[in-house]
Amino acid sequence: MQAQFKKAGKQPSGSSAAALTDGRTRTQREELLGWALVLPSVAIILALILYPVLYNIYLSFFQVNLSGASRFVGFLNHREVLGDREFWSALLTTVMYVVFSTIGATLLGLGVALVMNEKFPLRGLVRSLILLPYVAPVISVVFSWQFFFDPVNGIFMDIFYDKLGWFSQRINLIGSPATAVWVAIIFSIWKNFPFAYLMILSRLQAIDQNLYEAAEIDGAAGRHKFLYITLPEVYFVVNAIILLRVIWNFNKFEEVYLLTSNVKVLSVYTYLKAFTGAMDLGQGATLAVLQFILLIGFILFYVKRVIKW
Amino acid sequence: MKRKIVTILVLALFAVSSAGLLAQGQEEAAAAAKPVAIEFWTTETQSDRMATIQVLIDTFTALNPEITINLIPVDENALATQTQTAAAAGTLPALFEGPAETAVSFGTQGVLDLQATKAIVDKIGKDRFYSGPLKVLETTDKSSYYALPYHGWIQGIWYRADWFEEAGLNPPSTWEDTLKAAEYFYQPDKNQYGILVGTLPEAYAEQCFTPIAMSNDAALFDADKNLVFNSPEMKEAVEFYAELAKFNPPGPQTWRARDYYLQGKMAMFFYSTYIMDDLAMLEVAAGSLTGDNFGDLSGADFDPELVKNTRIAPIMTNESPAGYGTVVALGFFQQKDPAKTAAARKFIEYLYTPNAYITFLHMAPGGMNPMLKEIASNPRFQNDPMGLFKSYGPEKMAEIIDGLENVETFSIVEGVRIEEASEITAKQIIPQMLYKITQERMSVDAGMRWAEAEMRKLID
Repeated sequence: MQAQFKKAGKQPSGSSAAALTDGRTRTQREELLGWALVLPSVAIILALILYPVLYNIYLSFFQVNLSGASRFVGFLNHREVLGDREFWSALLTTVMYVVFSTIGATLLGLGVALVMNEKFPLRGLVRSLILLPYVAPVISVVFSWQFFFDPVNGIFMDIFYDKLGWFSQRINLIGSPATAVWVAIIFSIWKNFPFAYLMILSRLQAIDQNLYEAAEIDGAAGRHKFLYITLPEVYFVVNAIILLRVIWNFNKFEEVYLLTSNVKVLSVYTYLKAFTGAMDLGQGATLAVLQFILLIGFILFYVKRVIKW
Repeated sequence: MKRKIVTILVLALFAVSSAGLLAQGQEEAAAAAKPVAIEFWTTETQSDRMATIQVLIDTFTALNPEITINLIPVDENALATQTQTAAAAGTLPALFEGPAETAVSFGTQGVLDLQATKAIVDKIGKDRFYSGPLKVLETTDKSSYYALPYHGWIQGIWYRADWFEEAGLNPPSTWEDTLKAAEYFYQPDKNQYGILVGTLPEAYAEQCFTPIAMSNDAALFDADKNLVFNSPEMKEAVEFYAELAKFNPPGPQTWRARDYYLQGKMAMFFYSTYIMDDLAMLEVAAGSLTGDNFGDLSGADFDPELVKNTRIAPIMTNESPAGYGTVVALGFFQQKDPAKTAAARKFIEYLYTPNAYITFLHMAPGGMNPMLKEIASNPRFQNDPMGLFKSYGPEKMAEIIDGLENVETFSIVEGVRIEEASEITAKQIIPQMLYKITQERMSVDAGMRWAEAEMRKLID
């Protein structure tokens, strides 16, 4: 289809040689057909993606009043958000959450993929069992984690405080704002590493075994084989996984909010700002816009500078 | 000739108009029988309660086949938000059931149908209601009501009378005695805690805080509707609350932590009369106990003595005595289609008939208490399926129901209804402040400044 468009662009329109009975050239008609075919998808994208994005940007310039008229306030919302200490602390929490959960999930996925690439009995069964955290519904695992970390009755404190004495007192790890972010990070690593594992494993299986054999003949040790063959081979896949994980975790809401409402990452902070308390939808929209800009900025930087696509 | 024409014209006009009237009459008849579907939002989100309400709906719709009612559970903490968004989208349900304070806040936003509400109060008869709860829902000009009181609970501090007796401590009825006991029983090395007050930003925190503030004569507004939140009395109350919270189980907590009391790991907790069936019934308490399922954990089994060893201190005193309770109301959201309001009215009238009413209240004996005097004395009501009236005795139950007459809130000051206070309650500003102070280590002054700024945003 693209080729057709290019051709149509080059050809002078209304060329009499190709003119057909309805006064349109064949290429013009094909162009029209092309537009007609893509129009439904374009319309859906415009309505479901572009419109909400634009409307959100529009809202960020207003003091939104749900039961009356909204008031245009220019950049007031943006200034207020940027001057809000809680915004910066939410941003810091988000960066922490994204960096650690992405690195953790990718490294763990890589490690597990390397192990699963070796032959051992019942490998097929183990390979599929590893996917469990990724496929289990988030709400059910969240409840078990909450029970696990319950300060009074949970298994975690029972083992690490009562039995092993690693803690000086019972701590509500999943509830206290200072520790909850780490629980959320560990939860995210545990829940999402199977995705990295799956992608890397499939890449590992496609590596040409001749490379390893040749390296062995040259006297390469296991470490060298990993550094000079495996890593370069999985480089792009790992980078793609990191990019996707950053995008997903930057916008992550349900895993964080359901597990513990005390970790104010940007998405949770936006929700709290827009839909609880004084329900400041204008500032909520502003937060969403800022989040969008930050993410786009990161993606451009990462793709151009790190992956160098 | 002219006369003839005039006569014909008059006749024709008459014919047309009477035909119109006839048609209108037919339309009305058709409207009555025309199928109508309404939505009913309830804050009774537990599945067994939903099932009971569904039974009532099924019975009602069997009698009124033209009406369909969709029951939709809405979390109490999300009711205000959901309503505001639904109002903006024009998709409000015909009916809702929720806390009276929230209903008043809806009323001031102008989304409620006060006429329909007034009509039901008039039809049932004002004198048949308990007057206290009805007053909570009265409009400022006293011409109508925001919603209809349907059931209610009172709150107090439930405590281990046997522990208190052994330790020689007074019941937790004053600030001093409560703090002393909380400190005494707080033994975290033994996995035992002094008290439970709400520290998560949820409605429960405000329910615990209100009687403490009121007992110190602290208020949100004065009778002239000026915000007087930032007062020395309020500061004392917040400081006292933060002090009590130190003897809580670790971390931010909400009502769910009452399980620790049932497991014998806590000395007292703020709670409504909803706890009565958990205390007395093994089946109900099972969800709160872990001992049966996890033998190795330090869980607990059902303690049949607990109901005897538990007492309630319903009144908190410092400067003056204060009690707390909540009236749960049924309200009408404004509808474009009058047929929907008519259907909703019919359903509410049905809910107030003795059989339906008692079935509803028996979902949570002790927790759900009637708002019509005659229901309280109805022998069928007193013979609840769980036998709670028998275990507690009708006198104790009567005392609880009478407590509802004296329900106090921030939103009624010297008999003046302050709608703005209901708005502040509905938006949970105070719970958020308490969370910041007790969990995020914000200072009391900074927390109160933050809360005051949020409150001003709501009332301006």
